[in-house]
Parts: sequence; C-alpha cells; structure tokens
Amino acid sequence: MQQIEFDTKWTMVVDIDKCSGCGSCMVSCQAENNIAPMEDGSNKLKTLTWMLVYELNNGKEFPERESAYLPRPCMQCGNPACVPVCPVVATTKDEEGGIVSQIYPRCIGCRYCMAACPYHARYFGWFDPIWPEGMEKALSPKTSTRPRGVVEKCNFCHTRLMDARARARAEGMDPNKLPDGWYKPACLESCPTGAISFGDSKNPEHKVHDLIKDKNAFRILESIGMDPQVYYISRRDWVREQSDNHLPKDKH
Amino acid sequence: MGIDRRTFIQLVTGGVVGSLFTPVIWKSLDDAAIWSQNWSWIPRLKYGQITEQATISKFGPSPCSLMVKSVAGSPYVAKGNADNEMSKGGVDAISAGGAQLLYSPSRVKGPMKKVADGKYESISWDDAEKMLSKKLSAVKGQAGKLAIVSGDATGTSTEVLSAFAAGMGSNDCYLMPGDEQAAAVALENMGGSGQIGYDLENSDFVLLIGADAMNSWGSVVRNQRVYADNRPTGGDIESVYVYAGPFLNSTAAISDKWIPVAPGTGAIFSLGLAYHMLNAGASASVADFADFKTLVMSRFTPDKVEKAIGVAPGVMAGLAKQLMSASAPLVISGSEFGQGAGAVDIIAASALNMLLGRVGEKGGMKLLAELPLAVDSAVSRAELSSRDFAGYLAAVATDKVKAPEVMMAYEANPVYAMPQATTMAAAIAKVPFLVSFSTWMDETASTADLIMPNPHSFERFDDAQTPYGVGTAMLSACAPVIEPLYNGKSTVDVILGVASGLGIDLGYESVEAVLQAKAEKAGADWDSLVEGAAYVSDSTESGSLKFAASVLSKAVIMPKGGEIALAPYAKLNVGSSTMAIPPLNCVTVSKFELQGKDLFVQINGKTAKKLNASEGSKVKLAGAGGECVARVHINEGVMNDVIAAPLGFGHTAWDEFSRGKGDNISKILTVGTEPGTGMAVWTSSFVSVA
Ligand code: SF4
Repeated sequence: MQQIEFDTKWTMVVDIDKCSGCGSCMVSCQAENNIAPMEDGSNKLKTLTWMLVYELNNGKEFPERESAYLPRPCMQCGNPACVPVCPVVATTKDEEGGIVSQIYPRCIGCRYCMAACPYHARYFGWFDPIWPEGMEKALSPKTSTRPRGVVEKCNFCHTRLMDARARARAEGMDPNKLPDGWYKPACLESCPTGAISFGDSKNPEHKVHDLIKDKNAFRILESIGMDPQVYYISRRDWVREQSDNHLPKDKH
Repeated sequence: MGIDRRTFIQLVTGGVVGSLFTPVIWKSLDDAAIWSQNWSWIPRLKYGQITEQATISKFGPSPCSLMVKSVAGSPYVAKGNADNEMSKGGVDAISAGGAQLLYSPSRVKGPMKKVADGKYESISWDDAEKMLSKKLSAVKGQAGKLAIVSGDATGTSTEVLSAFAAGMGSNDCYLMPGDEQAAAVALENMGGSGQIGYDLENSDFVLLIGADAMNSWGSVVRNQRVYADNRPTGGDIESVYVYAGPFLNSTAAISDKWIPVAPGTGAIFSLGLAYHMLNAGASASVADFADFKTLVMSRFTPDKVEKAIGVAPGVMAGLAKQLMSASAPLVISGSEFGQGAGAVDIIAASALNMLLGRVGEKGGMKLLAELPLAVDSAVSRAELSSRDFAGYLAAVATDKVKAPEVMMAYEANPVYAMPQATTMAAAIAKVPFLVSFSTWMDETASTADLIMPNPHSFERFDDAQTPYGVGTAMLSACAPVIEPLYNGKSTVDVILGVASGLGIDLGYESVEAVLQAKAEKAGADWDSLVEGAAYVSDSTESGSLKFAASVLSKAVIMPKGGEIALAPYAKLNVGSSTMAIPPLNCVTVSKFELQGKDLFVQINGKTAKKLNASEGSKVKLAGAGGECVARVHINEGVMNDVIAAPLGFGHTAWDEFSRGKGDNISKILTVGTEPGTGMAVWTSSFVSVA
C-alpha cells in the first residue's frame, strides 16, 4: 500500500526518563474515552487500556538493576499493519494529520487488526461495557460509547483535534495550521511529570518538530518499518536498545 | 501496567490477510457486525454546554488543585490547574477519575445508624445530629472521653475539629499518621518553630532519603511537576536527583542514581554522610555542634555505617562530595511509604542541610510560617502535627489509656490504614460510640455506630494550607462544582451546629464562613482562591536550629542484621489511606502487585533462594500484630533481605473494585517507640516468612 504523506503529522514524544509510571494518563484516558471500569483489572488479556504503561528493566541483578516506565498509546503508524488487513474498512489512515481512525459501527470484531498490530495497541471489547449505577452520568460527550464485540484503540483524543480546528475557524485561523499546544490529548493534560509532549512534527513552530530529532529520540520496533508517529526519548542506552527486536549482539 | 517488554517483541506479525473481497463477503460481514454488536446496551451520551471549574481534590496523600470539566453541569473529566502553585497543573491518578468517583458504588448516600452488626438504617440528619449531641453532652468537659482523628492534614475543617475538641475538654484530637508528624517532632527537638519546608524547585541537587517523592512523600503532584520543570524533555538536566532507599520504586527509577539502603535506616545513612562532610571541614555555628561532631565521628564511622546499612564507604564519600560541591544541594528525608518515620530521620537529614549551610536558603530547607488560625481556640498546626495517634491507639489497645467514650473519624479510615492494623482496629473496637464522617463506606464507616457522610470533594467547600513538603506557605480553596448528589452534609456544618447546641461557640455559622475567614486572615482573596489561584506567602520563621545531638544519640539504633525487613510502598494509582482502588484504576494495577485476588510482594533472587521461594510461590508473612498472605514476584530492584510490599490492598469494605483483593500490608507493620522522643514509629518492621 502506498504511504500517504500529510502536511500535518500529529506526533507524540514520550520522555521515558521522566515517566514515573503513576498511571494518571491511563485513568484520564479512560475518563475521556468512556472506557467502562473493569472489576478484574489484572486480567490483562481482557482489559481495555488504550494507553498502557509498561514496566521495563535492564535485566541485571541487584544492585545493578535499573527500571523505567513506557506509556504506550496507539502509534498512529505511517505505514499501519492494521489498516490493510481490515476486511470492512473500519480502520483507515486517510485524514490530514495521520491519525489512524477506528469506525466502531463498521467493525465486525474479526480482530485481524489486533493480530497485525505489533504494538498491542488494539483492544477487543469482550464484555458489555457496564458502568456502576449512575456513573454513566460522568460519561464524556467527547467519545462515543462502544458495544462489546468491536475493536477499539487510542485515536490521540481525536475530538480534541476537531475542537481545536473549530476554535481556529472561529478565530479566523487556518484549521490545518494549529498553534502549538492547542490540541492536547487527555493523557498529556494529566501527566504530572510532563513526560508527554505532543504537536505537529512537520511544523517547525511546534516543540515536537525538534524533539523527534533529539539524539536520544527513537521509536519502538523501528526496524519493521511501520513509521510510528509516537517517539520516545531516553538518555539511557539500555532503554533505547530494548526498543527494537534485535539480537543481543546487534549494535545500533 | 505490568506487561513486560517481551510481549512487544513476541508478536511482530505483519499482513495477516489479503485485502481482496467480493460483495458477497461484504454483505455477510455486515450481517456479522450487526450480530456481534449490541448497541442497545450502550448508554447514551449527554450533550450540552461544556464548562470548567476549579476545585481541590483530597483523595490522595496531599491536596491536588484541579480544573473539572462538566457537560450540562455534570463533571466528566478532571485536568490539572496550571495556575495553582499547590499542584502546578498536575493530576494524580486518583483525582484523574474524581468525576467518576462521584458515582462510586461505595458512596454513603445519607446518614445512617447501626442497628445490628453490619446492618445500617437510614436516618434523618436531624435524628443523626440529635444522636451525636446526646452522646457528646454526656462526655462534655471530661478529659479522655472524646477522641477525634482527622485524615485531612491541610484543611481548615481540621482546625474546626480541634477547636471543637478543645471546647469539649478533650486533648485527644489527632491527625492520621503522615510524614508531617516526624517533621513536627523533629523541629520541636531542634528548637525551631513553624513547619519544615523544602524549596525543591530552586535546588540543583536533591538527595531523597527514604522519601518517595513521586508516590507518597510531601506534595506528590507538585514534586512531580517541579521535577519535570527542572528536567525539560530534550533539554539539559538542571537538577540532579539521587534516591536512597530499599526498593527501586518509581522515584528511584527516574532519579539519576539509586543507592540501596535498608528500610528505616535513613538516620544512619544521613549521619554516615555527615561523617564525611565533617571530615572535609564542614561545620555550623550552633550551640551543640561539638556534641554532634563527637557523636558522628565516634559512632558513625564509615565501617560502622557499612556494617549497619550496607552502603560502602566509597559510595558515602562520593555522595558527600557531590553534595558539598553542588551549588544548591538539598537533603530530604522521610518514610518510604509516607508514614511511621522517626523524628531522628528528619533531624539527621536536617543536620546535613545545616552542615551544607542550606537552612533558610534559596533551594534549601525552610521554616515556613503558619497561616493564622481561623478558629481562635483551635490547636496550632505544629502542635496538632506532633501529636501521636498511633501511640495513643497503641496505649488504648494495651489498656494503658482508657478507651474514649466517643471517637469521631473525619476523612480518615483508621480501622484499615493504621499500622499494625489488627491491633489498632481492636483498640477502636473498644470505643462504645464511633462516628464516621466518611464520604465512602470504608472499613471505619462499616464498623461505626453512626455515619454522617461528608460530601465528595467536588460537591463541597474546602481548602488546603501548606501541604507538608512544599517550600512556601500557601493556601487554596474551592467551592462546589456540583450540587451534592446524595444526602451528605458538610462535616464542618454538622460540628458547628452540634457545638452551638452544646454551648460551645466556635465563632462561625457555616463552613463557607470559616473558610472565608481563614482566607481573609491569611491575607488571601477568597474569590480568586475559589477561581483556582493559590495564595502564596513567603513569610518564614527566624531563629536557628540546633542539631539535637542528645536526641540523636539516644534515638539512632544500629540494626542487628540477619532479619528480613519489610519495605512497604504506596502507589497512588492503587489509592491512598482514605481511598480504596477507584473503579477506573483497576486496570492500572501492575500484574506484579495483584493477579486476580492474589497480592504479590517482591524480593530479589538472592533473598528468594534464602527463603526457598520462587516466582509465584505463596508466602505467609508475620509481623508483631498480624499476618498477611501473598505470592512472590522476583524483582532485582529490591535489596537483599528485604521484602517490598505494596500498601492499599486487602480491603474488607468498599466495593467490588477493591474488596477482597490481596491483603493489607499494614497488618504486618510493627509499631515501636522511638527512644529519645517517645513517638510511635514503624519504618523498621521485620517479618518472619513461612
Ligand atoms: S501520567 Fe505521565 S508520569 Fe504518569 S504514567 Fe503516564 S506518562 Fe508516566
């Protein structure tokens, strides 16, 4: 499939050295995106976590051990593995900005996309979403609710992009040239350690434009060529080395 | 959280299916979609005007200033409030789901009285207040008959409670345990006044001893924000962080260096560093400097320190040198889990700040002035903080002190959250009339004789002054974001009403009036506080500190060694001492902490071998007052002979999101008494493992 180049590239940069694994991003993601609470959160095969914080370590024994946290949203790949495998075109990458869409009413729950995604960023609703009595009153008007049986994933809080564009239009500005900071996903907004940066990496006025060129910036599984729009930064060699599926003796 | 990196790597798959379809397949797939989805189940979204309003949440270990977004008046998401100094725009993992907590299945919907064991009956506020008044009037004026415990260390509500206790003739108004207690006792012993604070943002080298600044020490969200600002993504590190503690917790993980130090031995670590500083010529013109120097040079020599806490002399010397050569170093000490540290931990760390000349300096340790009291007869914050609730309950447990006739718990869950929990719960069970003001059906409410629910944080007036750990005195306040959903009533309003019926004049008629008066006396503008700004005061206490060498000499005890030490830790996503796992947070709990109903504790491979344990094996841990059951996760980020164990599990009340999940590590904490100060301490808890 031909990779489409957009003029805008919404890009997330996560500073792994700053993430304390506190989980605020995960919680606000669920609130913003109407993910129903799950009683057994430890069944990681059945839970829905569009944003998931992984724990990494350097594999060494005490006292040489080091650890780090890696928040993982959908990577909004430039060359997504999930899009071509969808038999019903329920997921596409065709909108300016490069966010990979997920159209729930079209999804048939075949889960090919889940198998295709190497980042495990896609989730299947195994259960009817059930909110404790009354909690549906705290649903966000920003994200449609989904039934069981469909696949869902992070979309960089897409309605916030729509809102920012609407604001630009109202203020007589170009909706495709949003100023830095106008469009912020919920995870970024709640992250207390400022580990998450976000913006248009093609716009030199946006911070992420330079951040992705930082000498410590990298992407996960870069070698498989999916061209993710999520970057990470770490000063620690072992963190950067783990980002790819290389053999122990490989050199970067 | 808690899937290791291998899962990323194992599943590198590619194009699984081709993309050629015929209309026939399209049609049948469409049918399949209709069949597999179940739209009628799905709640409808509410649309309407979206508004934002500032509030303060009190769910975590320290207050967090938020902006709450509402749709047509219903809160749905909380974000940070960047204009507020207290939490500088961050959100903790509990507050992030604060809107959903409005509808927590654990909310107490109105006043209730106990009718039989475990059964409650709804009553009217009138009846509840009458019941309370009657019990209180029977004990008025008699010392020892009324005890009050507050879990809100920053709110003016607690001032009202302490003033009320005083009016009732009771000296037993306490705060739930927290680091501010050790700090207040330390400051008293060092001859200082006010409240110890730390100017984190202006320090270029922060040494955290025990204090888990990203999870449980001080003003957590603010600490995180300050850390973030001093270490800009893609920029230069402006402030170096070093963490010393038994477990590679997340503070250690994001620090530049982790120095493993046995749990509860922070004071020895500090004095070991003092040795090197004194050797390098550090001094301070303080009355008991000579005594301090003699003490350190004789008892905390590098070899003795290494034997006691396992830190090599070279590491200590190197760190001392780094501290001395930094331009604005700062040493902070506290419990690894936000409670139970001794005054000596703080005194010893303060000694380092004194040797480094950092007391009262920019980026150093500060003595913050207290804001004026709103209620004249209230106990000062310094006095209240230094009171020892664990010591009091331990004395009640052993009948050294007679149980009070009435105990009132405000924003506190002592039945669950006190150290040596079973013993302390038994002490509380001796109280004939227990009143809970909790918003939630927590363990304390579930045993209380009377429950008088306080509204949820977003439904009430509240304020917060100078959380422990911040570097300047400050005040925030908030007004309700939403009308109370249920039949709650502000505890302050309840107390003011009951007090006046009992002839105790607290000077105010409503919670709003008290909070406004507080703001006014502090010199703050109420309206801008309610809009979300924090009032910040740079007033500090003068006068110099002493080393309290005589206290240090008595209170620092070298560990015997050879035992298995417990290193509890608290993580915000799991909850706090007043909040069980919130519904939205279940999925954030690590699989290394909880799987199904099983709690996991963490030990390294060497300790596992010694204990004959392996990944997943079941262990029974026993402390002085109880036992816990857990499974083992091997984690090389734990020191030898240490068991790292998460607090916040094993709830017996609350709801399906937390009840019966794991075990409560507080049960196996062992409460001891600190020689020299007499305060209850529990950071050095040893366990036997079977
Ligand atoms: S909120 Fe920020 S610090 Fe916390 S887990 Fe998410 S990315 Fe990490």
